[in-house]
Amino acid sequence: MDKPADSKKPVKKQGALRIEAVVPMLIVVGLIVLYFSLFFDAHLRRGLEYGATQANGAEVNIGRLQTSVFKASMLIGDVQMTDPMQPMQNRVQIDEVRFRMLWDALLRGKVMIDEAIIEDVQIDTVRKRAGKVLPPSPPQSGPSASDKMLATMKDEFSGNVVGDLAAIAAGANPSEQLHKISGELKSDVYLAEMQRSMDETEQNWKVRMAALPRGEDFSALRTRLSQVDLKGVKDVSQVHTSVKELQAIRDEFEAKSKPIGEAGSGLSGDLKGLQTSFAGLDDVVRADVRDLQARMKLPTLDAGNLSQALFGMDVLNKLQQARGYMDQARQYMPAKGAQQQAKPAPRNIHKGRDYAFGHAKGYPAFWLRRAMVTSTLPGGKGLSGEIRDAATDQALVGRPMVATLKGDFPQQGVTGIKAELIVDHTKQEPVERMELSVARYGVAGRSLVNSPSVTLGFAKAAAAAGFTAELRGEQVAIHASNQFREVAFETTAQSPVVREMMNASLAGLNTVSMDARVRGTWGDLDWNLSTNLGDALARGMKRYLQEKMNEARKKIQAQVDQRIAAQRQKLMAHRSELESRLKSALAEKQAQVDKLRADLEAARRDLEQRKNAATDAQKQKLKQDANQLLDKWRK
Amino acid sequence: MTLLLKQLFGLLRLLNSDTGTNQIAAGLACGLILGFAPMLSLQGMLVFLCMFLFRIQIGAALISAVLFALIAWLFDPVSHAIGATILETVSLQPLFTTLYNLPLVPLTRFYNSVVMGAGVLSILLAPLVFFGSKRLIVLYREKVVARFKQSPFWKLWSGTLFFKWYTSYEKFHG
Repeated sequence: MDKPADSKKPVKKQGALRIEAVVPMLIVVGLIVLYFSLFFDAHLRRGLEYGATQANGAEVNIGRLQTSVFKASMLIGDVQMTDPMQPMQNRVQIDEVRFRMLWDALLRGKVMIDEAIIEDVQIDTVRKRAGKVLPPSPPQSGPSASDKMLATMKDEFSGNVVGDLAAIAAGANPSEQLHKISGELKSDVYLAEMQRSMDETEQNWKVRMAALPRGEDFSALRTRLSQVDLKGVKDVSQVHTSVKELQAIRDEFEAKSKPIGEAGSGLSGDLKGLQTSFAGLDDVVRADVRDLQARMKLPTLDAGNLSQALFGMDVLNKLQQARGYMDQARQYMPAKGAQQQAKPAPRNIHKGRDYAFGHAKGYPAFWLRRAMVTSTLPGGKGLSGEIRDAATDQALVGRPMVATLKGDFPQQGVTGIKAELIVDHTKQEPVERMELSVARYGVAGRSLVNSPSVTLGFAKAAAAAGFTAELRGEQVAIHASNQFREVAFETTAQSPVVREMMNASLAGLNTVSMDARVRGTWGDLDWNLSTNLGDALARGMKRYLQEKMNEARKKIQAQVDQRIAAQRQKLMAHRSELESRLKSALAEKQAQVDKLRADLEAARRDLEQRKNAATDAQKQKLKQDANQLLDKWRK
Repeated sequence: MTLLLKQLFGLLRLLNSDTGTNQIAAGLACGLILGFAPMLSLQGMLVFLCMFLFRIQIGAALISAVLFALIAWLFDPVSHAIGATILETVSLQPLFTTLYNLPLVPLTRFYNSVVMGAGVLSILLAPLVFFGSKRLIVLYREKVVARFKQSPFWKLWSGTLFFKWYTSYEKFHG
C-alpha cells in the first residue's frame, strides 16, 4: 500500500493581496456608518458643549443637534449660554441654528457656510438650574502691563468712598484711629537716613580737616620768607637769587593752601545737601499724611472720586469684557501677518503650528459668509440682524466681519437696541469697532453703594445706554454713557444724620446721567468719569462733613509733626553745630593762608622796588663810567 | 477584541515560524507611519487600507504603531523644527499653495509643522525599519528560536499530548 511521502497538507501559496479581508473591511465600514447614524450627533453635541463652555467661561447646553453627512448640514437647537456672573441666568438663549457647509470646502479641510439661520435669540433668560462656572484660567505668563493696569483700577474703584464718608458723618472720629497706627512712617525712615548721612558727613570732614595743612606748616613758610634777603640786595644777580627763593616759597604755599580752598567749596556743597534733605523731609511728611488719610479711609469730598466709586466698576467691567472679546477675535481671526509671526507656545509644541497657503480664490479654514438673526415675537416685535464674513483669515477673504443687530427684547423690557460690530483684521493693524445703543431698559434693585454705614441704589429706573468703542492695535478709545430716568432711590442708614444727609443730597434728583471716556493704550489708560449723582452727593455731603474732614486732616498733620518734631529738632541742631564748627576751623586756616599770601605779596613788591633801584644804580654807574672814559678820551 | 487577539497570536506564530518575514517587516514599517501620523488623518486611513488590502501583519503594525506614537510624541519638538523649516522654504511655497487648495490633500494636515516634520521623518525611516526589522527577525529566528527549540523544556513540551493535539488541530483549521 502506497503511503503518501508527506502527510502534511500542501501549503497554498498566498498572494500579496488579502482577498479574505474584504468582508472584515465591509464590516468596519458598516460599523462606521452605524456610528455616524446612531452616536455621532450625541458625541458632537457633547464636544461642542465642552468647547463652547471653555469659550464662554460658564456652562453651555445644547438641547439637540442633528447632522446630515450627505447634505453637510447641521441643526443646533435650544442653546443656552450661562451668564458667568449670574449662574441662574442665561447670557444668551438661541432656539435654533441651521446651516449647510459646502462639500467643496470640506474636501479641502475647510468649513465654508454660505448662509446660516439663527432663530429666536433671547437674552437674560432664567435657567432651570444654575450653570457651572469655570474658574478663571491662570495666565500663561506673568501679568501683562494691561492686566496690571486693570488690576490697579479694580482696587481703586472697589473702595467704598461713600460708605467711608457716611461712617464719618455717623460719628466715627478718624483722628482717634491715629493712636492705633503702628509701624514706621516714611518720615521716620527718612529721618534715620538723614541722621546716617549727617554722621557720615561729619566723619568725612573729620578726616578731611585732619589732612589739611596745619598752622606749623604756614609758620615754617613764614620763617623761610623772613630769611630771604631783601634789604641787602645790591645788584641784579642778588635779585635773581632772592626771586628764585621767593618763587619756591610761593609754590609750596600754593600747594598747601589749595586743599583749604577746595575744602571751603566742598563744605558749602555738603551743607547745601543737608539743607536740601531738610526741604525733602517736608515732602515726605506730606506723603505720610496722605497715606494715613488713605489708611484711615479718610476720603476726599471730590465729585470725581465719588463718581468713580459709584460707576467705576461698571465701566471697568465693560472695558474688561471688551478686552476679552478683542483677545478672542484676535486669536481666532488673526490680523494679516499675525499668523506668520506667532510661534507656538512651549506647552503647545506638540500641536505645532498651522501654516496657511491660501490664494485669492481659496477658502480660509472657516468662513461664515452670512448669518441671519431673527426673532419674531407676537405683536411684530422682535430682533433682526446679520453677521457677515466671519472668517479665520480676513486678509484672504478681503472683507472685515460686520455684525448688526436691531430690535427689542420685550420680555426683558429692553427696547430700541441698535448694535454694530466691525472686526477689521484685513490689514496688519487689527481694528475692532463697536457701537451699541439701547433706547430703554428697566432697572430694578440695582445697588450702587453697599457698606455697613449706608446703602444706596436704584429701586427703580428707566435707563438708556450708549456704548462706542474703537480698539486699534494697542490703542483704546471707549465712550460709555447711561441715563437713568424716573429714578426712585433706595437708601438705608443706621444713623439719623447719615439718613438726613443722604436724603438732602438726593432731594430733587430724578434723572441720573453717567458719562465715561477711556483713552490711551491698554498699559496706560486715561479715565474720565462724571455723573450728576456724584456731584449731588459731593455737594450734599460737604455741608455735613467738610468741618469734620478738615479737623481730621489737621489732626493727622499735627500728629505726624509731633511724632517727628524731636528728631527733626535734634538733627537741625546737629547740622547747625556741625556747620559752625567746620566753618570756624576752616576760617582759621583760611586766615593763615590769607596772611601768608599778603606777606608774600609784600615781599614780592619790596623785591621789585629793590630790583628797580639796583638796576637804576647800575645804569647810573655805567653812565658815569662811560662819561669818565669819554672825558679822558677828549683830553 | 477577538480579531485583535487573533492578530497578536498570528504575529507570535509568524515570528517563530520560518515564513512571513516580509509581512512582519512591512507591518512594522506601516506601524511607524501610523505612529508618526495624526490619529485621524487621510494618510493614516490610507495606511489602514493598505494593511487590510495587502498581506501585511496587522498585529505587528498595531503594536509598533503604539510604540512609535510614543517616540513621535517625544520627538515633537524636532518634528516641529523640521516641519517649520520645510513649510517656510520659499521655493516650495507654490507647491504647498497648490496642495493646500486641492481637494483631499489638506486632510493630511501637511500644513502643520509637527505633522509635516513627523511625516517626512517617518517616510525616511520606513525603509530603514523595513530592512532593519527583516534582518533582526532572521537573527532572532537563528539565535533565539533555534536555541529554544533545542532546550529540554521545549523537547518536553513538544512531546506532550496537548502539543500534539494542538499541532494537528492547527494543520486542519489554520
